[in-house]
Amino acid sequence: MTEKVRVLGTAGGALGLGVFAATIGACCAFPWAVALLGVSGAVALARLSFLLPYSLLGAAILLAGAFWWAYRPPAVCADGTCNAVSRRPLRVIVWAATALVAGMATIALTSW
Amino acid sequence: MRIFPAALTAACLLVLTSGCAAGAASGAATYTDLDDQASQLRADFNREIGSVRLLFVVDPICPTCLRGLADMNRDLLRSTADPRLQVFVVYEPVLGVVYHIPGLQPAAAKDVPKAGQLLQNPNVHNYWNPTGAFGRLLSKAVGLRNGNHQVYAWDVWLIYGPEAEWIGAGPPRPLLLMRQLSELRGTQFPQLDSRAFARQVRTLLAQLPHPPSSAALANHAHP
Repeated sequence: MTEKVRVLGTAGGALGLGVFAATIGACCAFPWAVALLGVSGAVALARLSFLLPYSLLGAAILLAGAFWWAYRPPAVCADGTCNAVSRRPLRVIVWAATALVAGMATIALTSW
Repeated sequence: MRIFPAALTAACLLVLTSGCAAGAASGAATYTDLDDQASQLRADFNREIGSVRLLFVVDPICPTCLRGLADMNRDLLRSTADPRLQVFVVYEPVLGVVYHIPGLQPAAAKDVPKAGQLLQNPNVHNYWNPTGAFGRLLSKAVGLRNGNHQVYAWDVWLIYGPEAEWIGAGPPRPLLLMRQLSELRGTQFPQLDSRAFARQVRTLLAQLPHPPSSAALANHAHP
């Protein structure tokens, strides 16, 4: 598995969990859930609210993994001539994901 | 690492399939429009003196409120048709009223029958208070405060004993008030626990005389 896949996978997972947390948190602050999910769906969504802290914790762990893959020291070739691929785009992605997850966590926790 | 996306997918499926199931529910609940003095509720409440009375105040499109209704139904209401237990549910619009977002509408009267379907009990009386004045009335009447801050009454769950009578402008003080409002965390009002709520109601019902059986009523009507 390449570093690109690892970074994108972990950052994407963190984003998914962030969206999930924001959805749970915002379920009871804005009038959208019943219109979108119906009464039973809204009840089910409210029953998932206990997952909010776990999803934020999971997002934080995944982001930590993404940072590790993006910033870990590159492998050193035996002759020291390896032309390592630039990690700059991956690091930008990780930081962008972090900002988005932080924003969604703020929504989730202030609405909860 | 893969457990989180899997859990997320499962949760989404649960929510979506539950939403689909909502359409299969049947039996629309009826409701009464409530004026700002809650006149009809007051009359109905006092008519049932001698019964244990429950008062639920909820927004019909608030998921947490709806979960509370579903829990009350599961733990208490669906398993009894005891006429000594009367339930008054006041629906009022809260979400989207103060913080209005274009495209997202606050609750309307059409939402009440759908929410009312969550309670499967013949002794439930539903009311719709479109102005939300009942929340202020109840808040003042029962002292719903957090420090010096008066907290608007919604997502609150009250138990009244058989002797309670609505005399003043607002409802009387209840025997028990549970809430789900985060604004009331750390106050004397406990977080809603539908099982504990149901136990309290059953304890009160056990102290009341049993209603006459249908056979006794028939004998009385046709001697």
